Amino acid sequence: MKADQDKCIACKRCFPYCPMGRIQTFGRHDRIPGRVYIEIDQDACTDCGMCLRAKICPVNALFQPEEPWPREVRGVLSNPMIEFLGSQTPGRGTEEMKTNDVKGTFLPGEVGVGVELGRPGVGAYFRDVEAVAMALMKADLGYQMAAENPVTHFMSDKTTGKLREDILGEKATSAIIEGKCKLEQLPDVLKVLREVAGTLDTVFTVEVITKVPPKGEIPIVPVLEKMGVWYSINSKNNMGLGEPAYKFYDDEP
Amino acid sequence: MTHSLHRRGTRESLSNDFVVLGCPSTGVNKKGSAPKTKKFLSICYKHGPVNLGDMKTGNIYNTTMDDILSRVTDGTIVECTFDNREKIVSLLKELKEDRPGISITISGVADVVQQCMTEAGLGRIHSLEYSLGTWGKTDRLPDFEILQTVTMCGHAMIASDLVRKMVRDVKRGRRTIEECCIEMAECCSCGNYNVPRGIALFKELLPLYSLHSLY
Repeated sequence: MKADQDKCIACKRCFPYCPMGRIQTFGRHDRIPGRVYIEIDQDACTDCGMCLRAKICPVNALFQPEEPWPREVRGVLSNPMIEFLGSQTPGRGTEEMKTNDVKGTFLPGEVGVGVELGRPGVGAYFRDVEAVAMALMKADLGYQMAAENPVTHFMSDKTTGKLREDILGEKATSAIIEGKCKLEQLPDVLKVLREVAGTLDTVFTVEVITKVPPKGEIPIVPVLEKMGVWYSINSKNNMGLGEPAYKFYDDEP
Repeated sequence: MTHSLHRRGTRESLSNDFVVLGCPSTGVNKKGSAPKTKKFLSICYKHGPVNLGDMKTGNIYNTTMDDILSRVTDGTIVECTFDNREKIVSLLKELKEDRPGISITISGVADVVQQCMTEAGLGRIHSLEYSLGTWGKTDRLPDFEILQTVTMCGHAMIASDLVRKMVRDVKRGRRTIEECCIEMAECCSCGNYNVPRGIALFKELLPLYSLHSLY
């Protein structure tokens, strides 16, 4: 996002709308005496478009130029109005458990593990995303990256989690690593995430997905409780109403 | 995409906060899903959502229900936010009898959602996703009180500075709490922002900050 120097009057109305915080500085116009304008820190800005959508600028100075690769990746992952065509799903990730009832993405004995870097409201550089992805793959825990996920799409080597060199300096409001592993590997996967968390200059949210069996305990709960890992009381829950239903068990009708 | 999962708050507050999402599946039922998604939206609308939208079109605070419906295409994901469990029970009863055919998820307090399903005559939750919280450099996050509000937009489009500015505006008598919360709902294009919950959280925020400590 940029502010047109010839239009901007430095009224600062756009400042609080930026999800990345105070990333603007002031400049003095070299051709209009006394005119002050704002400059948006192009390294800190993720091109999410929030300030523009807020329609807060009284002189229409804000504009989003068409960005070439690799900067283009910022808007693709940060602006919710832009769809990443590689995933065929609006948003920053995949369908994950939302369609598990018809797709069978997460089978009994498997756990989905997602890591969303930069969220909430901090932002993440792709070098941080790469650090987490490579730590997960280096641990050799059978973590399988979701092929249709945008971050996976940007990997130059999906077996190591290495991202394309040209995007490492780019920043997104958030970027999600999505994948799955076997239930018995979940404690080790979480240990890897704990270790890598201390090395980053950003935050990440962690989410785990499981198929709920028809009877008995939710499989991931005893694992989390044994490890002393906090999990939220609120969860995302698939109602199992999609059609045609995926057959998870042999004795299902 | 986990943008309705990481909402923060107390049990009391989150117990009145549900995001119902309709999602067709690529390679399974996405082709020809537009009428099913419209049917799902129309059913949800009857049960009194407090917000509703599609991230690529916007929500009922920045466009109309007719516009949202008319822009649904194959593959569109739609979201409806509700503010009490009775609405969820009645919605699930209708969805059980008249299934649109696309996948439906509900984000909310897990045991409350399960109770609603049981009351509606549905079985167990099919698949579940837990948030394990925020890890890493958490000292960069805003205060928990502000986090409760900003995490209602999973795409993080409600800036913490905006919340602080709005608290200041309300304290100075420039706008009402309701006006501020509707503007926050406009920022969250998917329609995940729960306006009644937002108003309740805003009222809790007001005494916590003095004018000089704000944006």
